[in-house]
Amino acid sequence: MRKLSFIIGAVIFAVFLPTFADMYLIHVASSIMIFMCLALSWDMMLRTGQLSFGTAGFFGLGAYAAIIAVDDFSVSPVMSIFIGAIFAALIALGLGVAVLRLREMYFAITTLALTSVFMVLARNLSNLTGGAAGKILFHAIFDGDPKKIYWLILSFAIVVIALSEVFERTRIKYAISSIRNDELVAKSCGINIFKYLLFVFIITSAIQGAAGAIYAQQYAFVEPESTFSSNFLLLPVAMALVGGIYSTPGPIVGAIVLGFASEYLKLLMPYGHLIIYGIIIILTIIFLRKGVYGTILDKVRSK
Amino acid sequence: MKILRLENLTKNFGGLIAVNNVNIELQEGEILGIIGPNGAGKTTLTNLVAGTLEVSSGKIFFQDSDITNLPAHLRVRIGISRTFQTVRPLKDFTALENVVVGALFAKGESLSQARESAYKVCRFLKLERVDSYPDKLTVFELKKLEIARAIVCNPKVLFLDEVMAGLNFEEMKQMIQIVKSLKDEGMTICVIEHVMSVISELTDRVVVLDRGEVIAEGPYLEVSKNKRVIAAYLGEED
Amino acid sequence: MKKIMNLYILFFLMLFLVALFRPYAFFYGLQRGSLYSLVALPLALILGIVGLLNLAHGDLLTLGLYLGYILFNQLRFDPIFSVIVIAPILFIIGFVVYKLTIERVLKSHHLNLLLITFGVSITLVEFINLLWTSRPRNVYVPYATKSINIFGINVGAYEFLYIAASIGVLLLIVFILKKTRFGQAAFAVGQNPKGAAIVGINVKLVYTITFSLATAMIAIAASLMIPRVSIFPHLGGPFTMRSFCLTAMAGLGNLPGIVLSGITLGLAEAIVQSIPGYSGWSDLVFFGVLILVIALKGYRRAVR
Repeated sequence: MRKLSFIIGAVIFAVFLPTFADMYLIHVASSIMIFMCLALSWDMMLRTGQLSFGTAGFFGLGAYAAIIAVDDFSVSPVMSIFIGAIFAALIALGLGVAVLRLREMYFAITTLALTSVFMVLARNLSNLTGGAAGKILFHAIFDGDPKKIYWLILSFAIVVIALSEVFERTRIKYAISSIRNDELVAKSCGINIFKYLLFVFIITSAIQGAAGAIYAQQYAFVEPESTFSSNFLLLPVAMALVGGIYSTPGPIVGAIVLGFASEYLKLLMPYGHLIIYGIIIILTIIFLRKGVYGTILDKVRSK
Repeated sequence: MKILRLENLTKNFGGLIAVNNVNIELQEGEILGIIGPNGAGKTTLTNLVAGTLEVSSGKIFFQDSDITNLPAHLRVRIGISRTFQTVRPLKDFTALENVVVGALFAKGESLSQARESAYKVCRFLKLERVDSYPDKLTVFELKKLEIARAIVCNPKVLFLDEVMAGLNFEEMKQMIQIVKSLKDEGMTICVIEHVMSVISELTDRVVVLDRGEVIAEGPYLEVSKNKRVIAAYLGEED
Repeated sequence: MKKIMNLYILFFLMLFLVALFRPYAFFYGLQRGSLYSLVALPLALILGIVGLLNLAHGDLLTLGLYLGYILFNQLRFDPIFSVIVIAPILFIIGFVVYKLTIERVLKSHHLNLLLITFGVSITLVEFINLLWTSRPRNVYVPYATKSINIFGINVGAYEFLYIAASIGVLLLIVFILKKTRFGQAAFAVGQNPKGAAIVGINVKLVYTITFSLATAMIAIAASLMIPRVSIFPHLGGPFTMRSFCLTAMAGLGNLPGIVLSGITLGLAEAIVQSIPGYSGWSDLVFFGVLILVIALKGYRRAVR
């Protein structure tokens, strides 16, 4: 009951935030929620035991798909977000058939390579993508009103959180946790491993694609280097690890903590502040493997 | 009525032949023992039947349909379950949840149905600490958990790979009772075992494997007097 | 054995054909490919013996390059000879990185190993970024820009050192593995760590030395590259990827295969680059091959 009232309180707070917060805070909160969704999607894939480094790749795909849809095919901006998600999902479906036969480092490095492939494609298919110079969005979503964009991102974040909870509460959880624990046992219990991996890969890629599409709408601009930037991999990974993997609250907590911390860090050291993320990843893996949320949860449970 | 038939089954790993041209028939309702020295190919055979290894040549028939190329997760759905020689609990799940996995996916039950079936199976096996995580369970409980996860799938044929290993005398007696009651439930059971007293008490018939080949077949008492079998166990060359 | 012979015949046939039809791409690809394999060999050594994919591999190369740049800039140290200084420094850095991070998670889940080297990679890049900013640095020495004329084609003379060095490092590693006590122990550990521990090999020590030694070997590539590249913080990332690609293509434990794969891909890249209007696509050669190769190999593994 307390948990439920906390969630309702948090949602109400989030919904009404733009009515009293200043522009800067609205902007920071929007960006944190985008990264939160990426962190959740990365964690959802990790729950199957597969470490994906492709987050930035599908993010970029979604961003490009959205801008091209609006500019070249006159799709409405809101619709373009769905296009971004569907495009990323379709690519994931096509590639998943090959990539999901890989495990461990082979899977990880191939997904990392995919990001580079997408970037090279974006740079070279200049007729469609604008090449190295990038592409500008002609009509920004909601005419660029930050409050409306904030609410759009908030609704997206709620959808992603709900999806993550579906992954935690339904038979999907039993399937993917079994696959992560022991594929042989999973198979022997009747689980179609490939089907579930493909399903999770498609869903998480769609989330990343939608996040990219929204980001592109927000900034009205895509460009190979910055849209496929490794930041969209590094930050979500650090956030999920710090908060605690294999859970919904973990990446949320991590995104909020690191998101605000990074704003402060940017002011403190404008150059190379990303080093903190690298160090945080190393430290959490060595000392705090369950993350902040997981460790607190353990403490509470053992009491 | 034969329920499972292995026809000229062969499996090689590179140059090593683990199972060589094996023909075995399993009659419905019987308990078949598979015995043989270490490295005879018993576990490989289980893996071939369960579909977790691909056969090199030969065929597997289940209720007269060819299942040689059926993926493992579908074999358990049609009624072939197995336990693992070394227990393999899913460590992120409680004992009950381990069993729920089988009910969910092998039988396609809903979550609440699966919980119900899992409880039922655990009660049947007298597995009491269902809410404990595997690292807190004893060897006997883990062995029961292996069996629970296998039988919750409602198998017609059940492969038990060395379920007695590591148990003390008292536990073994209970385990024998469990296997007998599974037979009474109508399951056809294949026990792979090193403990000969268990084999003699449980099985209707045994197959002896040595270096991947069937060297003898028949009731335990008969087979145990077979010269080739004795030689295989003593490691003599003939 | 016959299969390997066929592969070699195919390889030399390919070399011959490229040399015949695209002579410039032949020399350029040979040189680039050798450089790639020179960088890849230490990565393969760590992967083969420690069983660890070091995602910070390329960034250690970047660090080596910056060290060389400083040596040249501050002390007028000739880049080629700077290896004498860079190698020991990289050895120590490798040792420290290994002891501080990797060793602590070696026994835990494989995901943690990958993630921690990912963390090390980010930390290194950003550390370099902090220290030297993202401005590209260049080192000019006259001998590195000389070109020679072979059958009427102008090719860089200096880059032939890459070929010599990659073969040299290959022979060095094979020599260490086959002829030294440490190498034999390392080889045993790579095959079967538990077995090696039982016969009394100090596995922990072997891992530490292998990692540090392989890191030191990166200095050879770094010192050779100094006068020929623009040095910037993110230079190393693609090299990690290329190195892994070559290792995957050759197969674990096949060190000569890395040089052959390197040259093959170097040639392929050079050919794509030589097609007018398509030079930007050359980056896809490695990634395409990587995805293809490990998808095929992974598929075979899944079936088994």
